[in-house]
Amino acid sequence: MAGPSSAPTGPAEPAEPAEPAAEVPWRLAARRFAEIVCPPEVRSGQRAERVLGEFGLMLGSLPPAARKALAVALAGVEQGARLYPPARGRRFTRLDDRVASAYVRALLARPDPAAELVRRLKSVLVMCYYELPEVQREIGYDPEPYIAAVSRRRLDRYGPQIRAHEAGPGAGS
Amino acid sequence: MAVPNGLTTQAGVGSDLSLECGVVVVGSGAGGATVAAELAEAGVDVIMLEEGGYHPTASFTAGTGRALRTLYRDGGGGMAIGRPSVLYAEGRCVGGSTVVNGGMSWRTPARVLQRWAEREGLRAVGERDLDPYFAEIESRLSVGPQDPETIGRDSALFRDAAQARGWAVVANRRNQLHCAGTSNCSSGCPTGAKQSMLVTSVPRALAAGARLFADVRVDRITLGRTGLGGTGLGGTGLGRATGTGVTGHVVRPGGGRGPAVTVRARAVVVAGGAIQTPALLARSGLRPASGQLGRNLSVHPNAVVTAFFDEDVTGWQGVHQAFQVREFTGEGLLLTATNLTPPMLAGILPAYGAELGALMADYNRIVTAGPLVSDTGSGRIRYLPGLGPQVFYQLTERDAARIVRGVELTAQALFTAGARRVLLPFEGAPVVRTPAELGRLLTRPVPRRTLELFSIHLMGTARMSADPRRGVTGSFGEVHGAPGLIVADASLFPGPIGINPMETVIALALRNARRLLERRAAYCI
Repeated sequence: MAGPSSAPTGPAEPAEPAEPAAEVPWRLAARRFAEIVCPPEVRSGQRAERVLGEFGLMLGSLPPAARKALAVALAGVEQGARLYPPARGRRFTRLDDRVASAYVRALLARPDPAAELVRRLKSVLVMCYYELPEVQREIGYDPEPYIAAVSRRRLDRYGPQIRAHEAGPGAGS
Repeated sequence: MAVPNGLTTQAGVGSDLSLECGVVVVGSGAGGATVAAELAEAGVDVIMLEEGGYHPTASFTAGTGRALRTLYRDGGGGMAIGRPSVLYAEGRCVGGSTVVNGGMSWRTPARVLQRWAEREGLRAVGERDLDPYFAEIESRLSVGPQDPETIGRDSALFRDAAQARGWAVVANRRNQLHCAGTSNCSSGCPTGAKQSMLVTSVPRALAAGARLFADVRVDRITLGRTGLGGTGLGGTGLGRATGTGVTGHVVRPGGGRGPAVTVRARAVVVAGGAIQTPALLARSGLRPASGQLGRNLSVHPNAVVTAFFDEDVTGWQGVHQAFQVREFTGEGLLLTATNLTPPMLAGILPAYGAELGALMADYNRIVTAGPLVSDTGSGRIRYLPGLGPQVFYQLTERDAARIVRGVELTAQALFTAGARRVLLPFEGAPVVRTPAELGRLLTRPVPRRTLELFSIHLMGTARMSADPRRGVTGSFGEVHGAPGLIVADASLFPGPIGINPMETVIALALRNARRLLERRAAYCI
């Protein structure tokens, strides 16, 4: 889960951090967790993969301690399922949807610091899901055309005042 | 990407840098950029160092994830550890948090200034002292109310409901030049209407000859013999330093460590915010006699009530926050409606799977609102080698009760506005469908640990006090016992201010920069 811990000036987003082969199990657990905590439509098309792509970028922006904590949370979710009686000793990635969902519900309801980490993991993954443009459009959120329209309105209505202020003493260039 | 004259990013630094100037300013946000512009325009040779990248207005989009990764420290995912923990966000980019804040611009309340003066013996912080600075800032940053066409329906609903209940409501004053109402403040203003430091004081400073190095992390401050004729930081742990200035390094894409950067200067201004400033001072070996460095953190904890309406509200079509309910300021409470983008909202909703999908399907019928509390508790920053600054914060029972009260008031207003159901920011709380249900639910105590809180106002960790035994800095931001080392951010506040802090930060920075100029001969700058 190595990745950039900051976002320096650059022409584009940092690429998703390369995942060493040894970290494939982390990815599997994250994907399965995303399938459970995101809406069911996450399984359509390439959405789950793209959520994981966003998730990788987001992890890369976290400080090392937070990255480690989320990695521990994922490992805990994966292996902790063995202790969940309905799982009958299986890991999280081996559970069917019904048992996996019940397990996650039980985890999220726990009043301890470990559950807080799992809640944080859930938050980050669902944020990544709702970052996908087609998901946003499905819920009626399509900001770019709106931003373009109100930006034009601003200039149409207030162009002279804006230019006057920007040319005034002490204004930024 | 073209960059302005005077600005150097990591791409422009191929080998170690050794620089000299009159004043080096660490941070380019509200405090740092203000000081830099003021000093540079007075002819001082200024270098600004900013840990974050340079992201111009043209690069801003509605993408929440991209914004979190490029404009915020640690992806906006800071956490103050406590029961409950408090999520917090800090800006990290050229322009600092002013690039991603809501732009609310309020003068420091007179009662707060009076309390600071009385408790800490501070000079020249009265209302009359600061009013000229506020007036100057407001003119320069175009502070004023929104144009009416930019006010979203979510804000209007909340305002109307509050007024129907007889509550005092004020229209926000913001640093905006005919804001278009894109509701994109937290991801960077895509029109440049928000008068953040990125489009105001930073270009002013550069135009006056200041140099700005983005993507440079400052590791340590060193203070030696200063223009004041003494040895800086005597008795504070930095006395062994041989020269005044800072050392740091370029941050490469991917977080890699780039060339070393050394800046020698006559004075150092630190403006990294209430978490990073005390951390930098601590890792530089500073140990003020007061023992208050990194202590007294106030966070103005916020909570979010999510309300569902029958009709479309489309809160993202309009400025993200337009009004504040001021009826309960005597209780330390502000109430506001603030739009959240889909990722931000999904991240806080207490649901997952199909249930989350069902809630989010109503995104355009949702209003999010909540209280901000002027807190009485405090937190602490500890700098832990290998882990960086760690934040600890303990919410008091009194503040927890006020948050619950603020949530109740917010929910009542949302029901008045026509909400059909609300979700409360208490872990495990049921959906509430009527005011009566709300009342019944809140007859039972809400455990403090179940509160879901966040913060974007961090203050107080290098507080001003005339008494070196009580404060880290003096009346004008200079660190006690360390001539030539000046703090210029919200760390200075000797307590929470109960409103958005940006204008107070700028006013203090402007005042302290002018104080520095008055004494420039002594500093040899």
